[in-house]
Amino acid sequence: MTYQVEIEPLGEVIEVEEGQTILDASLRAGIYLPYACGHGLCATCKVDVLEGDVEHGEASPFALMDMEKGEGKCLACCAIPTSDLVIEADVEEDPDAESHQVRDFSAKVIEITDLNPRIKGIFLEIENDTIEFQAGHYINLEIPGVAGPARAFSIANSPSDNSIVELNISLVQGGEGTTYIHEQLKVGDELNFSGPYGRFFVRNSAPEPMLFLAGGSGLSSPKSMVLDQFEKGEERKITLIYGARNQQELYYREIFEALAEQHTNFRYIPALSEEPADSNWQGERGMVHEVANSIYDGNFEGNKAYMCGPPPMIDACISTLMQGRCFEKHMFMEHFYTNASKDEKPKSPLFKNI
Amino acid sequence: MAVKKKLNMRKRYEVLTRGMGWDTTYQPMDKVFPYDKFEGIKIKDWSGWEDPFRLTVDSYWKYQAEKEKKLYAIIDSFAQNNGHLNVSDGRYVNALKLFIQGVTPLEYGAHRHYAHLGRHFRGEGTRVACQMQSIDELRHCQTQLHTLSHYNKHFNGMHDPFHMFDRVWYLSVPKSYFEDAMTAGPFEFITSISFSFEYVLTNLLFVPFMSGAAYNGDMATVTFGFSAQSDEARHMTLGLEIIKFMVEQHEDNLPIIQGYIDKHFWRAYRVLALIAMMQDYMLPNSPMSWNEAWQIYYVENMGALFNDLSRYGLRMPKYSDVATAEAEHLSHQTWSDFYNFTHAASFHTWMPDDRKMDWLSEKYPNTFDKHYRPRFEQWREMEKAGERHYFKGLPQLCQTCQIPMFFTEVMSDPMKISRRVSMYKGDRYHTCSDGCKDIFENEPEKFIQAWLPVHQIFQGNCGGADLSDVLKYYHLNEGEDNMEYVGSPDHKRWQEWKGEDKQDETATG
Repeated sequence: MTYQVEIEPLGEVIEVEEGQTILDASLRAGIYLPYACGHGLCATCKVDVLEGDVEHGEASPFALMDMEKGEGKCLACCAIPTSDLVIEADVEEDPDAESHQVRDFSAKVIEITDLNPRIKGIFLEIENDTIEFQAGHYINLEIPGVAGPARAFSIANSPSDNSIVELNISLVQGGEGTTYIHEQLKVGDELNFSGPYGRFFVRNSAPEPMLFLAGGSGLSSPKSMVLDQFEKGEERKITLIYGARNQQELYYREIFEALAEQHTNFRYIPALSEEPADSNWQGERGMVHEVANSIYDGNFEGNKAYMCGPPPMIDACISTLMQGRCFEKHMFMEHFYTNASKDEKPKSPLFKNI
Repeated sequence: MAVKKKLNMRKRYEVLTRGMGWDTTYQPMDKVFPYDKFEGIKIKDWSGWEDPFRLTVDSYWKYQAEKEKKLYAIIDSFAQNNGHLNVSDGRYVNALKLFIQGVTPLEYGAHRHYAHLGRHFRGEGTRVACQMQSIDELRHCQTQLHTLSHYNKHFNGMHDPFHMFDRVWYLSVPKSYFEDAMTAGPFEFITSISFSFEYVLTNLLFVPFMSGAAYNGDMATVTFGFSAQSDEARHMTLGLEIIKFMVEQHEDNLPIIQGYIDKHFWRAYRVLALIAMMQDYMLPNSPMSWNEAWQIYYVENMGALFNDLSRYGLRMPKYSDVATAEAEHLSHQTWSDFYNFTHAASFHTWMPDDRKMDWLSEKYPNTFDKHYRPRFEQWREMEKAGERHYFKGLPQLCQTCQIPMFFTEVMSDPMKISRRVSMYKGDRYHTCSDGCKDIFENEPEKFIQAWLPVHQIFQGNCGGADLSDVLKYYHLNEGEDNMEYVGSPDHKRWQEWKGEDKQDETATG
């Protein structure tokens, strides 16, 4: 039994399989609905059901109030149609968002490299197929023998290289998935994933210079994005500030230094936070946000900022940017909801996307 | 796949409202909008205001009409079924007296001033938001009057709330706060009312009244509460949007806004002293104590908000720490004061019964038994001996908040009266706290004009020199509206209705 779901205001009609969520079906049909956590916690995907009935599934009572259920709201990531539906979502068609169908892939591990002492580069080759994605997108990777939902990893290669998926994966202390990848995964293994997902991409229609702030394995998306921009002949100024603890942790330095030599509108600024004081390091020292603040002299007005990295880094960068007069509208970041997200300190409704 | 593209919600609204704002040509814009620059708030681009609700007048009308129908159906059935007989105790109605005297006129004041802002902000998005809120506030005022008019038929003290609001000493506390905001510029008003009052402190006002009503069997008040609360979400969002808008528009705005936040947090918080005593003492069944409400709605929720606001460089309101330290004392001190001055109030007071005393001991383990219970037990003993006392003189008032000077040094010595003195142009002015002193000293020319009820009585501006003269001037019926609850006309009627009048009169509340 399948149901027809009409999505307003787009007027598009999609087929939803028995037991399938509205969000999954619409993403697979290439229609983006706002979403973030994907499992009923964050309420980003709240939509109005104009006609028909749904089963609310695992929606958290804190994300979807009883009152709202009565008003005909549901969370698209959990709601399963029990009849044909008409829903209305607050969909803003972003002129810069590419719409790619979410699909299932199987791929073979063709290379594993140590990018630095804590981060491995995993290269997957898709068999007899290609993946269309936008730089900044991520995939959900199924890890053999590891329970729970698939793990999200950003794609590090340029979209032009579409038979390969490169992931940069750091070892998370006590993390089942990343431990498996670091200790057991070997060349020749088969892995399944779905994708592409996400809303982290370059706003090409915006004329402003770009500032990429990255830390740790969060370099993957900015790498894909920067490579993509220059492959397409980027002329705006781009600055990439990459934070690592010491020189051993800096990776892909040669790629970005070469890029900076070729393009006068590209700046690559590695920032080291724990480099020994007496070392030969001539570059910037300090946390990403501190280095950014000193390079921009505390004024980020008129820039678009893209952030990817550990949550404390992103948190510090947001405050630095905002006090330097670059506000929510001009900053973009990927939110990864992990199992620890539930325990975060309470959030006020002041910001929508931070 | 059938494709028929429709505009999204935001675009539809943009198309619908296009052309509602324009630059005037016959007269310069600064003359048409004379008030939105003098405060020093700099707005580079009014179109940066994003209306998060996109509500049209048409849909506003439909939505509100639906709510009104539901509310008035409940009010009718409440009246037909003599709903006032189902409340927990006659004492409860005193909370409603305080509400209609002290809160409902604020709704009306908000209606007036949001209409003013709806005319005088330069940006049309901001104007529309203020106009909608202005109509909301008028509805709130009306629905409150209509709901409580049933109680007015059966209980004393609720017959002339707007007259009292303009004259009675304790009502000058909310009145002076609101008029302080109304006589400021539009940005200060909206920060004060939309942000400090309706966002930061709204739950501390609403929860005691509305869940208090629910806990005490007053379904009519609960319903108008729900009806109003569905608008409050919009009002609260306006409060957040205006702060974001001002800070993002220009860096020079930040210190001005922080100043507004500091001032109006403290001003609004001082008004809530009345709510604190209502919550802990007037409600026979209290859903939660003032201190508990403060911890949840201020310390936790507003802590999270200011944690986010700190990204802009804004910090918690000044003296938040004092307010938190005061949370364990506030209701007890305020109730003590009103107990002493009930002969001049349009509601009744009483000493808590044993059950209430034990509840207070449990909710205030650090302060109640140590500082307040002995005092209240002594007063209860005096009542039994026929010596229910009232304070015969007039109290000194704080020049800023106009509350009698009974607050104490909660940070150091909670049994020492907190008193601050400022000199201005050779005169001495008294304030109750560092918060009120700062406010006075920042705008002395404004606050030396304060209409202080005690001073006005002494100056002969309040009907005469005797209590009876002043009560007449207040439109307060002596011996009916004022004094102790036990033995009052309200109390006697309640006992008759409940068949308690034949029972032992000493079993007081």
